[in-house]
Amino acid sequence: MRLDRELPCIEVVELVTAYLEDALSVADRQRVEEHFVFCDGCTTYLEQIRQTIVLTGRMEPEDIPPALQEKLLAAFHDWTPA
Amino acid sequence: MEAAPSAEERRLVDALRAGDESAFTQLVQEYGPSMLRVARMFVSSRAVAEEVVQEAWVGVLNGIDRFEGRSSLKTWIFRILTNTAKTRAIREGRSIPFSALAGEGEEPGGVDADRFLGDDSRFPGHWAAPPQRWEALPERRLLAAETLDVIEREIAKLPPNQAIVVTMRDVEGFDAEDVRNALDISETNQRVLLHRARTKLRRALEEYMQ
Amino acid sequence: MTAYKFLEAGAVSPFAGFRWPLDEWVDAAGADPCRRGIHACRIRDLPFWLNDELWEIELDGDIVEQERKVVAPRGRLVRRVDGWNRDVLHEFGSSVLARTRTRFGAVAGLAGYVGDIQLHLASGRVPLAAFAAARAAEVNGGPAEYERERSRQAAWLAARLGLGAA
Repeated sequence: MRLDRELPCIEVVELVTAYLEDALSVADRQRVEEHFVFCDGCTTYLEQIRQTIVLTGRMEPEDIPPALQEKLLAAFHDWTPA
Repeated sequence: MEAAPSAEERRLVDALRAGDESAFTQLVQEYGPSMLRVARMFVSSRAVAEEVVQEAWVGVLNGIDRFEGRSSLKTWIFRILTNTAKTRAIREGRSIPFSALAGEGEEPGGVDADRFLGDDSRFPGHWAAPPQRWEALPERRLLAAETLDVIEREIAKLPPNQAIVVTMRDVEGFDAEDVRNALDISETNQRVLLHRARTKLRRALEEYMQ
Repeated sequence: MTAYKFLEAGAVSPFAGFRWPLDEWVDAAGADPCRRGIHACRIRDLPFWLNDELWEIELDGDIVEQERKVVAPRGRLVRRVDGWNRDVLHEFGSSVLARTRTRFGAVAGLAGYVGDIQLHLASGRVPLAAFAAARAAEVNGGPAEYERERSRQAAWLAARLGLGAA
């Protein structure tokens, strides 16, 4: 039986991004935070999303290949500043 | 991301306008790899992505006089990149539906429904099998290069629109406004794509951690 | 206006991670006080925000009353409510269990919540136990009963900690 006041975990996990973006309505943000107070599972889930973001930010790209580098330099030499 | 060029960026802009090659080289070194990574998500091959990057830099040079500093230099450069990439993608017959969210329906890869209690329980929709904190696992796991591989592999499996948004937001550090402008999508669209991507990345990490 | 604030150990706000100074006015940043303001509890809000430390907080400026909190542009921690500690938290939990058991312990379909509360208390999850009690009340009698159980929880806290007295 799904109740009026209910913001169950299955819905909270769908709101975490909006929560982190500070895009929830005042009422929803409160309901979510109220939920985190008693729900270890969702608190952990939020923490994991945060950790995911941190880890994702650590991905270093590969260097651009030398051939492309040369083409870019060539393009620069072809270019005349205004 | 800052909403205006930093002092260093302003110096580079001035130097570039004066024809300073070392300024160009510095910018290419700093942003080129990321630009290639993002371009690759729009187009059909690495070779095409390299062409996009080349075209974008030409656009940067041709436009540098018109850069007004209303955003950071990085944001401006990446806007040129994404515009170039989008145009090229369309020419290739690949249009990436950033706004076509209707009809995506139930996305697999989120949290499985069986992780939650059913409607007949005393707490419908609450966790049946809650996630376990990653801190409880050996610390090394979180820091290992393997976790980055997990993320990279998972991003490669994302639909392009999600991959691009999560790359620009969480990998490159652009804020929501920058990404909205670069991709010309609404805040809601951007957020939904980001949400789906992050949900899948977390799940992939959870599976790896177990 | 004097209100209350639950914080994590070290006077750290649970959501923003902000470390509160003692006896110093803190201004909420940003133009929208509802989003960025100082949050605090009236007595009736206390059961929803249980945490390590309970503080008395003085609020200043336009105070906005919301469903489960009040929000103000400025706040200042005045004093720690020393009576609040882990032991009292567990006393609170026991009171919730006792009340729920009395009301629903012999009621089919609701007795299960009593077991849930016991389980949660056994693992130290007092806020979850309190939620379960309110939930049981709601299943029994609708949203008004949820609120009534929460009011009882608030009343217990106020009485036990001597809150609201001059």
